[in-house]
Amino acid sequence: MALNLLSLPRWPGWRRLPREARDTLFLLGVIAWTVLPHVQHLPPWCSLLTAAVLLWRARLALDNAPLPSRWVLVGVLLLAAALTLWSFRTLLGKEPGVTMAVTLMALKTLELRARRDAFVVFFLGFFIILTHFLYSQSLPVAVAMLVSVWGLLTALVLAHMPVGQPSLRQAAKLSARTALLGAPIMALMFVLFPRIGPLWGVPQDGKAVTGLSNSMTMGSVSEVALDDSVALRVRFDGAPPAAESLYFRGPVLGRFDGREWRPQTSSFPATLQARANLRVAGPAIGYEITFEPLRLATLPLLEVTTSMAPIDGLRIVQRDDLSWLAERPIYERLRFRAEAHTAFRHGPVSGVLGLQDYLDLPAGYNPRTLAWAAELRRDPLYALADARTLAQVLLQHIRSAGFSYTLSAAPYGRDGIDEFWLDRKEGFCEHYAAAFVVLMRALDVPARVVTGYQGAEPMPVDGYYVVRQSSAHAWAEYWVAGTGWVRADPTAAVAPERISRGRTLAPAPGLIAGTLGTVSPELLASLRDTWEGVNNRWNQWVLTYARGQQLDLLKSLGFEAPRWEDLTLMLIGALSSLALVGAAWAWWDHRRVDPWVRQMERLRRALQRLGLPAAAHEAPRALAARVRSHYGTEGEALAALLEVLERQRYSPATAPRPDTRLTRRFLALARRLPVLAT
Amino acid sequence: MAEAVLPPTPAPRARGALRKRLNAWFESRVARSDTLLLTQRNVYILPTRAGFTFAFTLLVLLLASINYQLNLGYVLTFLLAGSGIVSMHLTHNTLRGLTLRLRPVAPVFAGDAAALEAVLTSPGSARYGIGVKVQAARADTLTWIDVPALGQASARVSFVPATRGVHTLPTLSIETRFPLGLFRVWALWRPASSLLVYPRPERPPATLPAARPVPGGPTLARTADGGEIEGVRGYRRGDPLKLVVWKKAAKALASGGELVTRDTRASAHQELWLDWNDCGALAPEDRLSRLTAWTIAAHRAGADFGLQLPGRDIPPDSGDAQRLRCLEALALWR
Repeated sequence: MALNLLSLPRWPGWRRLPREARDTLFLLGVIAWTVLPHVQHLPPWCSLLTAAVLLWRARLALDNAPLPSRWVLVGVLLLAAALTLWSFRTLLGKEPGVTMAVTLMALKTLELRARRDAFVVFFLGFFIILTHFLYSQSLPVAVAMLVSVWGLLTALVLAHMPVGQPSLRQAAKLSARTALLGAPIMALMFVLFPRIGPLWGVPQDGKAVTGLSNSMTMGSVSEVALDDSVALRVRFDGAPPAAESLYFRGPVLGRFDGREWRPQTSSFPATLQARANLRVAGPAIGYEITFEPLRLATLPLLEVTTSMAPIDGLRIVQRDDLSWLAERPIYERLRFRAEAHTAFRHGPVSGVLGLQDYLDLPAGYNPRTLAWAAELRRDPLYALADARTLAQVLLQHIRSAGFSYTLSAAPYGRDGIDEFWLDRKEGFCEHYAAAFVVLMRALDVPARVVTGYQGAEPMPVDGYYVVRQSSAHAWAEYWVAGTGWVRADPTAAVAPERISRGRTLAPAPGLIAGTLGTVSPELLASLRDTWEGVNNRWNQWVLTYARGQQLDLLKSLGFEAPRWEDLTLMLIGALSSLALVGAAWAWWDHRRVDPWVRQMERLRRALQRLGLPAAAHEAPRALAARVRSHYGTEGEALAALLEVLERQRYSPATAPRPDTRLTRRFLALARRLPVLAT
Repeated sequence: MAEAVLPPTPAPRARGALRKRLNAWFESRVARSDTLLLTQRNVYILPTRAGFTFAFTLLVLLLASINYQLNLGYVLTFLLAGSGIVSMHLTHNTLRGLTLRLRPVAPVFAGDAAALEAVLTSPGSARYGIGVKVQAARADTLTWIDVPALGQASARVSFVPATRGVHTLPTLSIETRFPLGLFRVWALWRPASSLLVYPRPERPPATLPAARPVPGGPTLARTADGGEIEGVRGYRRGDPLKLVVWKKAAKALASGGELVTRDTRASAHQELWLDWNDCGALAPEDRLSRLTAWTIAAHRAGADFGLQLPGRDIPPDSGDAQRLRCLEALALWR
């Protein structure tokens, strides 16, 4: 059997395949195409098993061999369940679910006995298509899955054409026609179906997805920095702020345990804590922001955003550290408007007890750095220096002591700050921010790390600004008496262009992009811009279409205070009218007659008006003879037309439709003839 | 001619009395006609089991889209829903507008399959995947055809009448699930033609009764086996093989001619009577079966034969017309 499997069967040619083998191979191809994008998420055994089963089934189809017994299938299914359990420790949840669905689909192809089995494959296929969207809803995935849907519908249509050997092209055309006719209904339902929140909590797996997170360890941002995917998109109402003030403020991390930075949880009573105390200056900047799924409760908004439009069903508040926190992590795309000021001050003006939280340093970590700070303090120059001066000293040190900015710093050990600040002196924004904060604290200045995004890439195509994951950034804030919190970006000290142009270190391009980039950089850039534009439109129109947009649509349609009930009513109304249109069409179609018959009927009536008997069963030729006998040469033209009609309709190459010019000419000629006396 | 209409072939027991009554009610709504134009009024549609499963799948997809907030999930769900709704119209459209016409049905013997040939004409687009069957028959007896655009296609279905007589044709059902199989569209058609069913011939056939000389006929009667050769003539269909003059025939065939048969006059004066009373002590239907078998055998032998039934005599004659006359009389007796 194994040998037989390996030896290649003779390929008879696609057209010479028996119908059943061809249909099965086509279905297997569609299934393979549908499952293929999942290979990156599936455990290797599942991909291998699926491929083996599909190939085996193809082999059976080519050989017209009998299908394996049900016990074999049950055995393989049990094995797959056991392997799933072994891989994921559970059978529930997204990943094990997808794994089982794919396995089931592959095994079901070995059991295509009756029509019911085929339907199971189709419906499992539609389900698997949906599971792709759990991972990505990008345009390429959408296009690939559209092809899958088309393939499955084609296979379905093929299964309902039992006569002869209909060509795949024909079936594909018929299924495309079905789907295209259904497209308006799809559009209508997509626009009007009321978007409601999740009906029940869905388990979100804690798998690491690159992006901002609520904590920071040395080296965590560098992974994000290699991710070129889009994190958010902004469109400013007016002129955009300067590139160096494009800070998107995410989680503020004030607690350091020697290894990891986390948000501050103060032990002081609320009255003693450092309040936001925001003081803004200058005009507000209005903007619209679209987030890709953040998987985070903190929304990185432009620094500093003072107000945002409320989002239906999601409470978002601004905390004392100026970060905007939602009540739950955001797993969906989010689009809303907000206002920001780039000129602002914040934090307590005079010292409060709560600031003590921002001086904590873990005991026993980074002793050499602390010693370095103590030595600086002993320097008479800085013994009485204020916070600003100390910050300048540190930044100056970074500029002058041979620090370098690199994404590929090797991991740091237990006393990472020591290693970074005194020995290796190479790293990324997080290293600089963390070291800066630790040193400021060691110098008795309250300080904290702020994470978020810095910089945005303008899209010439549609005026949007794109912020990629690779723009993830970490910077620092320290407290100055009389002013409040002051931003310091130590990365700017080592790599100023990182901040001023907002451009990140670019990861190495792929092979094709690399080649194209060397041959024609402009072409690559314009291709990329166009693609970004298309992708953005896809995001704006399809993926972020939500309740807010639906209600806006209703408003533009004239509803004063639209509610989701209105949407439901509109949807029901629209679908009912469509149904009525369908019924009316069927009714009209029922009254429709063959165009040839209709034409003949008109000609016959014209003859009857002239007083010539013309019965329904009489052929045009017979009528022509009668016209000649009654009118002689006067009716010759009319009779000739009837003979032409006879040829048009009954000759071997029948015209598909009657000639309307002939009908008009005939009627005109008939009107000119005298009515016969009865 | 007396038309004895026997009850039609009993349909296989329908599932449940309700279904039977429903079918009867449906059928009673359908007027008998040999041509039928399928319109909105006589085409029915219901979702199939697969259709319900499809609806369930859509519900699952919708729930998943809502719960995971997948806009593309909505797109997929609604695309499939739209296709499903459209397929309902397309399926209905597959039958609507078709014209059905029944070809004349040839008589058969009871117990043999009668072939009904329905010609389907499409006034417009091509129609795919149309199945025709006798309504009472099982689903796997469907005959599948495609009807080309502005063209015709014919479907043959058969049914086996159990008894002799004039049968009304069984109700035919025409159905389709094209294109997606989510809906089943069907129409019922009660053809107006009737079918003449001859009695089931006895098997194995009993030997033919002996021919009798014609009483009061010309005294030219010869020996029982056909008498002296009067001459020869060309072979005619129905001539018994024993009358072929094989020597002459072989010569004639070699030179491109045809078979040659003895022309006996004696046979004209011998009469073969297939008599109801010769059938021994059989039940009436069995007698008819035997007479049918004899009619076939006598016709095949090329003899002149007559048929005597209680209340009906058919004078002796030969040839196809005589065979039909006799079979018809047997089919319709009493």
